[in-house]
Amino acid sequence: MATILDIQHVSKFFGGLAANSDVSFSMEQGMIMGLIGPNGAGKTTLFNCITGYYPPSKGEVLFKGVKTNGMQPDQVCRLGMVRTWQKVRPLAKLTVLDNVVVGALARTASLKIAREIAHEQLRIVRMDGKAGMIAGGLPIGERKKLEVARALATQPELVLLDEVMGGLNPAESEEIIQLILELKKRGLTQMVIEHDMKAIMRISDRIVVLNSGEKLAEGGPREIADNPEVISAYLGERVE
Amino acid sequence: MPRRPSPSVAPRGSAALGLVAFLAVVAAFAVFPQFVRKPYVLHMGVVLFLAIVQGQAWNVIGGYAGQYSVGHAAYFGIGAYTTTMLLELNKIPPWWGIWAAIAAAVLVSIVIGSITFRLRGPYFVLASISVAEIIRLAALYFKGFTRGAEGFLLSDIPALKIGATEIEFYTKRPFYFTALALAVITVGVNWLVQHSKLGYYFQAIREDQDAAHSLGINLAFYKNVALAISAALTASAGGFYAMFVKFIDPNTVFGLDVSVQFVLICIIGGIGTILGPVIGAMVLVPLSEVLRNPKGLVQLGLLSSDSRFVQFVEEHLSNAHMLVYGILVVIVILFAPDGVVGLIRSGVARLRRRASARERAQAATTT
Repeated sequence: MATILDIQHVSKFFGGLAANSDVSFSMEQGMIMGLIGPNGAGKTTLFNCITGYYPPSKGEVLFKGVKTNGMQPDQVCRLGMVRTWQKVRPLAKLTVLDNVVVGALARTASLKIAREIAHEQLRIVRMDGKAGMIAGGLPIGERKKLEVARALATQPELVLLDEVMGGLNPAESEEIIQLILELKKRGLTQMVIEHDMKAIMRISDRIVVLNSGEKLAEGGPREIADNPEVISAYLGERVE
Repeated sequence: MPRRPSPSVAPRGSAALGLVAFLAVVAAFAVFPQFVRKPYVLHMGVVLFLAIVQGQAWNVIGGYAGQYSVGHAAYFGIGAYTTTMLLELNKIPPWWGIWAAIAAAVLVSIVIGSITFRLRGPYFVLASISVAEIIRLAALYFKGFTRGAEGFLLSDIPALKIGATEIEFYTKRPFYFTALALAVITVGVNWLVQHSKLGYYFQAIREDQDAAHSLGINLAFYKNVALAISAALTASAGGFYAMFVKFIDPNTVFGLDVSVQFVLICIIGGIGTILGPVIGAMVLVPLSEVLRNPKGLVQLGLLSSDSRFVQFVEEHLSNAHMLVYGILVVIVILFAPDGVVGLIRSGVARLRRRASARERAQAATTT
């Protein structure tokens, strides 16, 4: 398996505060990487550094061998890496379909093709029946799925999902888990920030734990669940 | 022409219906001067069409892309000054000069855009106001180039020869048809924008810039494209205005109230829709005309010359039209934030809901 994302010694300072300090890890094509850690550990900051919202203060991000530091988010997206937002950002006045069409237009100038792509993504997230609804009126579970569909429509090779299960009920979370696993089967590489430990242990091939901006541990789900440092810093008790 | 639900989900018939209605209205306006020859009525037609052009021009950047420029007087004035100066100083007729005006406005818009689009929200609004004010003050100051506050009084526009026919720009008629054509063109440009990738990208930027950015949209580029299209249409409006009114000075074409008028037309009608600026113009133009010149109603034969209304408006309101605009905007923002179009749309939706509820009730009683 080839390396798709290589994060090398990434640090991000806000004034004197190190939101990320010297974080390094890499991802293989097709894997699911879990990114966990307590609130304020720097997970979302790392997403922002990877996807071009912040330039890292130090270090390098290589996506498919291309250095993406200093790139804008739109360039990163067209290169094949897209993120979703923890606090969902629907294009509120547009319909569900048009939200996804906007994503699809990253790869085509034709509205007809973009609509076909958009319908396909809505089928994948099982929202094809809601294509005509106004995005601003959707309940939170549907908004989260719309985030995913819209990101998928840009036809990425790597998706970064920022707490897509946050605020969802168990049935909705299960639906997202199945969706993530299905996307993996289709060959999509994913990095997932999540607080639901049972879910993250189930879906991740590897997990990186951040704490106070630093990488505390990296390993398979079992390894992480058993790691005494991770237990004391974040988990509190062993996850079965 | 509905925006919500968007064209992609609207029933196919409604687009065709909209086109038929549009063509019918244009045809009606086109034959109108055959029946009504009063110069005052044709004059009002020109003012109305010009307001539609202004509204549609602003709609591209403010309505679709959501960037509330309150500095469109800059492009309007550049359009007016370029066409006027080319005609007065170089004897270049306006139908050629207008292209130079459009090119100049687009160039300036790119410069202004690349500076001000770093700012968001209210900061962008303030920057757009100040840029237009800088240009107005520069036009007042550089007297050698612009004649300063003295302005330009236009001599005659040469006759336009198309084949054997000659069009003289003495009467209101040629201006009426030119303005109508401009209005049709700008409506068409808005339609094209709405039904293309550009429209989707503009609206994505309006709804959420960060989300748009993450979906592969180059914010600076697409905002500049929106502004350039808007500036081009605005410059054509400015050029036409100068030819029609035949006098321009920095305050009448670069003034802040000109910029505000662009915004008002869209806000009152409903921003980000094709119908909105048209309706906004239809509300604002008669209103401002009545306030400024209540005798017009007498000329039209709608009121007698000793009417109390005319006296009242002349005495109390004719100098207060900006106040009336202001109150109107407050009312619209409070009670109809999506403008008249939004008001109509929500009314229709309510009627539909009521009708379907009645149907359901009937179905329940029959079974």
